[in-house]
Amino acid sequence: MTCEEFQLATLDEGQRGMSLEAAREHLVRCPDCAAFERNWQELRAQLQQIGVQEREVQAPSRVEMRLRQEFRTKHKTMRARRGAVITAWALAAAAILIVTIAWSNWSHQKSSSVAKRMSPAKQSVSAASLKAANVAPAGPELGEVLLASNNSEEFTLLPASMPGFLGDATVVHVQMQRGALGALGLTVNEEHAGDWIDVDLLLGDDGQPQAVRLAQSTN
Amino acid sequence: MHIDPQERDEVLLWRSSSGDEGAFTELYRRHQGPLFRFALRMTGNAWAAEEIVQDVFMTLVRNPKKYEAERGTVGAFLYGVARNRIMKHLERAPRDLQLPEHGYDSYGALPQTIDLKTPAHSAELTERRERVRAAVMELPAEFREAVVLCLLEEMSYEDAARMLDCPIGTIRSRLYRGRALLLAKLEILREVPKRAIASR
Repeated sequence: MTCEEFQLATLDEGQRGMSLEAAREHLVRCPDCAAFERNWQELRAQLQQIGVQEREVQAPSRVEMRLRQEFRTKHKTMRARRGAVITAWALAAAAILIVTIAWSNWSHQKSSSVAKRMSPAKQSVSAASLKAANVAPAGPELGEVLLASNNSEEFTLLPASMPGFLGDATVVHVQMQRGALGALGLTVNEEHAGDWIDVDLLLGDDGQPQAVRLAQSTN
Repeated sequence: MHIDPQERDEVLLWRSSSGDEGAFTELYRRHQGPLFRFALRMTGNAWAAEEIVQDVFMTLVRNPKKYEAERGTVGAFLYGVARNRIMKHLERAPRDLQLPEHGYDSYGALPQTIDLKTPAHSAELTERRERVRAAVMELPAEFREAVVLCLLEEMSYEDAARMLDCPIGTIRSRLYRGRALLLAKLEILREVPKRAIASR
């Protein structure tokens, strides 16, 4: 064994496989390698001592305190943020719900008020008075053409209207083009569709026209 | 919340990320010692070591998702983060490694072993240890970390390789060179007084 081989094997702590017999023989023969071996063992022992001496060295407790403080702050903030997000979503949902309901009410009221505005001289009629006003039977029979009656005393029920719902009906007097009667389901003479006519509309509880009566024709 | 001392680091980290302070504290207490010693021995500066340990755990507090279980253990992850911080510190202050006369700076309270021999012998031993510490501190960073982990922390080659994220062969060769450099350095130190005497 050469000095180089011995020193290499010593520093590698036997990882490269060293014959103990050969090493001992070399140590006896070579005082330099014996000194090297002694120095190495001494260094190793000192390193071990340092390791043992410092085994209990730890970070100061203030580090743990700071970290725990940071941990609490972070998680408190996260919890608060999560709560804020949930609240915001709940508020947004409530706001949407309120707006939807308000809009629905408003549109319903608007349609009612338009109907009211269209009839300055409105009057309420009871079911009994309607009977007295001689309401025509509901819906056309098969093959029959539904026409607004020219008789100013008679209301013609519009298609799909239900006489039973005319408990507290309102009569609205409006001026409209004859062609608009078509939209109510009545047959209109195309040649006179542009004529302006005075019409009484019988509005049901829901504000929808249920029956029509030609009050008097203009133009 | 109850913490089982045998609870795995991954479980503690998961619990800590969902706001369990007890789990975080347990995780910190398990790893702070070795990490602090590693940082202290690598930087030679207690304040820097303290900052590094704080930074490492701050990473866990602020961004626990940085840890990926498939890449290794929580311990290895913490060592990896600490190592990055240490290297940054060494880059910033490459020659700022003024080793204090007695142990590491500001930590004069290092536990002292009781020596039953004479005060002179005790002083000599302490001086030798300081010389060894100084020699370790002067090793290049990559050799120093292998020496610190394997010789001072008495970690196995496998564990050190895992902590430093490199093959075992690399640890072995760095350790070999670290030992050789240490020995050379201490040999020179030992020769200095002899030469000084001879030259008189």
